Amino acid sequence: MLFRLDGDTAGVYRDSMREEQPLVLRPQVRDALAEIVGEPNVISGAERLLVYECDAYTLEKRTPDAVVLPRTTPEVARVVRLCAQYQLPIIPRGAGTSLSGSVLAVTGGVMIGLSRMNSILEIDYRNRRALVEAGCVNAWITQAVKARGLLFAPDPSSQSACTIGGNVAMNAGGPHTLKLGVTSNHVLGFELVLPDGEVVWLGAPPDGGEDAEGYDLRGAAIGCEGMFGVVTRVLVRLIKAPPACKTLLGVFESVDDASQTVSDIIAAGIIPAAVEMMDQIITQAVEAAYHFGFPLDAGAVLIVELDGLAASLERQAARVSELCRKNRAREVRVAKSEQERADLWKSRKRAFGAIGRISPNFLTQDGVVPRSKLPEIMRFIAATSQKYGLRIPNVFHAGDGNIHPLVLYDERQPEQVNKAVSAGTEILEKCIELGGSVTGEHGIGVEKIDFMQKQFSSASLEVMQALRRVFDPETRCNPHKMFPGSKRCVDFVPRKQIAA
Amino acid sequence: MILRPANLPELPGLLARARECGERISSFDLSAFNRVMEHKAEDMTATAEAGVSLADLQERLAERGQWLPVDPPRPERLSLGALLGGNESGPHRFGCGTVRDYLLGIKVVLADGRIVSFGGKVVKNVAGYDLGKLFIGSRGSLGVIVEAVFKLCPRPEAEMFVEARFAALDEAGTAIEAVLNSGLAPAVLDLHKALPAAAQFTVVLGFAGPREDVQWQLGCAADLGFRQASSLQYEEEFWDGRSGSGEGEVVRKVAVLPSKLIGTVQSLGVPFVARAGNGIMYYRGPAAGQKSERPLKLAQRLKQTFDPLNVLPDAPV
Repeated sequence: MLFRLDGDTAGVYRDSMREEQPLVLRPQVRDALAEIVGEPNVISGAERLLVYECDAYTLEKRTPDAVVLPRTTPEVARVVRLCAQYQLPIIPRGAGTSLSGSVLAVTGGVMIGLSRMNSILEIDYRNRRALVEAGCVNAWITQAVKARGLLFAPDPSSQSACTIGGNVAMNAGGPHTLKLGVTSNHVLGFELVLPDGEVVWLGAPPDGGEDAEGYDLRGAAIGCEGMFGVVTRVLVRLIKAPPACKTLLGVFESVDDASQTVSDIIAAGIIPAAVEMMDQIITQAVEAAYHFGFPLDAGAVLIVELDGLAASLERQAARVSELCRKNRAREVRVAKSEQERADLWKSRKRAFGAIGRISPNFLTQDGVVPRSKLPEIMRFIAATSQKYGLRIPNVFHAGDGNIHPLVLYDERQPEQVNKAVSAGTEILEKCIELGGSVTGEHGIGVEKIDFMQKQFSSASLEVMQALRRVFDPETRCNPHKMFPGSKRCVDFVPRKQIAA
Repeated sequence: MILRPANLPELPGLLARARECGERISSFDLSAFNRVMEHKAEDMTATAEAGVSLADLQERLAERGQWLPVDPPRPERLSLGALLGGNESGPHRFGCGTVRDYLLGIKVVLADGRIVSFGGKVVKNVAGYDLGKLFIGSRGSLGVIVEAVFKLCPRPEAEMFVEARFAALDEAGTAIEAVLNSGLAPAVLDLHKALPAAAQFTVVLGFAGPREDVQWQLGCAADLGFRQASSLQYEEEFWDGRSGSGEGEVVRKVAVLPSKLIGTVQSLGVPFVARAGNGIMYYRGPAAGQKSERPLKLAQRLKQTFDPLNVLPDAPV
C-alpha cells in the first residue's frame, strides 16, 4: 500500500529512536564544519549557543549542537552533505522570529543560519522581479525598490527583522494579505539545498518565464516549515505600489459591532488592502506605549486601509464610513497625512510589544475562521476569558478572519500557565469547529502539533509525510515539527517574552 | 482507458481494478461530479465538485455578484478538475493571477483509493503542507481531484477594453512598455495577431474595477494611443481555430521573460495570442524554444510515491 512502509510509517518515530543517543558534536565534525565555513562562522559551546535555543516561541527550548553561518550556496551544500554523512539533524534558520517554534532544535543537530547570505543580488525592474539571498530581510526588498514605485507584498509584522528564506519556509502573511495574498503568491522560484546536499531550483528560473514546466514543487515547498531543505536564493515578484491609499480608523462601542462591520464591508464588494482590529485592552496598551491618540474607552477600533487608483477611493471610503456608522461607530477618522498613516500602522505592528507593559507573559494564537464567523469566535474568546479568569485581548487581521488572541498570564503563578494553555487550546478547537484553521500564518512548528490530527485525517497526514520524504527521505531536516508523534523538548520554561 | 466514476464511493473500486489489471488511465470523466456544494458570498468562498464546468460555476457565483477570477478558453467545456489539472488561465491573469492564487482546499482520491483533503475553507491557512499546489498543473498524474474550495472576488463594477493596432511588432512593443511605465493598472494586457489574415499586431488593454477607475484609465489609455473600443473576441477566435489555418493543430504555449516576448513572437511568424504582461504566448505550429532545467529527480520520486504502479496519467512535461 502507498505510504505505508512497514514499521516506518512516520520518519518521526525513527528520529525519536535516533534521539536515544544524545548527539554530541564530535570534534572531527566541528573541525570539518569550520573548514567549510571558516572558524569564525561556527558557533558552539553552551553559552554561545544560548541565542539559538528558541525563536519567538519561548515555551520550549533546546540549543543545537552547533550553528554555522555559511556565506554561499556551495558552502551550505557542503555543510548539508557533511551532516548527511554523520546523520545529524539540520535546522535552517533565518532571523528566528517564528512564533511557533519552527526553528527549535528539538533533538540538537546543526543549525544553518542564513544571516550572512543577506544580499539583494539582482533587481529586474522591467520584469518586476528581484533575486535575493535567503537571509535578506523582508523589508529591505521594498526599501530597495520603492523609489521606482514597486514593492514586495508580504508584510509580516516582523518584516523589519524576518528573512525572505523564513517567509518562504512559513508561507508568511501579514496585514496586507487580504488583497495581495501571502508569500506563495509572490515567490516565483527559489534555490533549495536538499537534505542530501543536492542543489535544485524550484519554480520559475531567474531568466525564465513565470509558468515553469512540470510539477509545482515551488508551491508545494513554500510553507514546508523548513523541512524540505535549506532555501538559499529566492526570486520574488515585485508589484506596482498602489498610487493612492486611504486609511480609516473606526471607533466602536463593542467588538461585536466592529466584527459585523468587517462582514458588511466584504459583502459590499469592497476589498480593502487591510482590515485590522484591536480591542480595548490592546488599544489601551498601545496608547500607553506609543501615544497615537486612541480613545481609551472604546470597545474596539478597526483600521481599514483602502488602496488603488485615486479616482474611486473617495467613494469607497465614504461607503466604508457609512458601514461603520451603520454598526454604531462612535467616530470614523481618516488619516490626514502619510505620517499619521505610518503612526497608525506602527501602533498596530508593535501591538504585541505593547502587551509587555500590561502582562509579564502572553500566549498568542493564530486561528482562522470564515469571515462571517468573526462575531461568534470573538464572543467565544470573551467567554473563555471569563471561564479561566485570564485577560485575552485581541489584535488581528479581521479582513481575513485571522485572529490573534493574546492569552495573558503570569508565569510566577504556575496554575495560570496551565489555564493559559487550556484557554488557547479551546479557542483553536473552536476555530476548527467553525470551519477554520488553527494557523493562518504562524505555522504548526512544535507549538500546534497536537492540533494536526484534529484538523486533518490520518490519511491526509500520511500523504503530507510522504511528500516530506520525497524531499527528505531520512526526515533529518528540521525534524520533530508539524506531525503528531514528534519528540518534544523536555524543558517547558515560560519566561518573560520579547516583542514579536 | 478513460475512467468514468458514477460517484465518489465508486471511484476507489475503479482505481483498484485499474491497478489489478495494470491498465493505464489516460483521463477521467467526472461529469457525474456536478454539484456546486456551497457558495458563501459573505465569506467570498465556494466549494464545488470537479466535474462542474467553469462556466456553470461562474453563472452560479454571478447570482451574488462574485466570480472566480480566471478566464481560460472555452469555460463551458472546461471542468474545474481540468482547470486545476492543467493550470489553465486566460487574459485576466495579468491583473488577477491564476487558479494557484485562488485554490483554498482540495479533495483528492489517490491512486490507492484513499480519499484525502488538504487546505481548508478559509482564505488564510498554513496548517500542514500546501499540497493543493502540487495537484495544480499535475494533469491527473498524482491523484483524482474530486472537489475544490476557491477564494472568490467581487465582480468588477465596470469593465472596458480598448486596443491599438501596429504594423510593426516593435511598435507594439514600445506601446506595451509605455503602458507598463504609466499609472495604468490594467487587468488585461494582451498582444495578438490571432488570425492569419490580420495584417497588424494588436495590443489590447482591459480595465476592471470601480467605474471611476475604469473611466480614468480609459482617458489615460487614449493619451497613449489606445482609442479603439475592443473586446476579448480575438481570444475566442484563436482557440476555436475559426480562421481556417492551423485548425486541428495543437496549441502550444511558451513562457518567457516578459521583456523577451517581442523577440520570441518575432521568431515565430505564425498567428498567436500573448499575455504580454506575463510573457506567455500561445500559437499553433511546431514546438519552439528549449525546455528549462528542472528538478527531475524530485519529480520522479513524487510520481513514484503517489502512483507507484503507474496507473494514472503521465507526469506533466
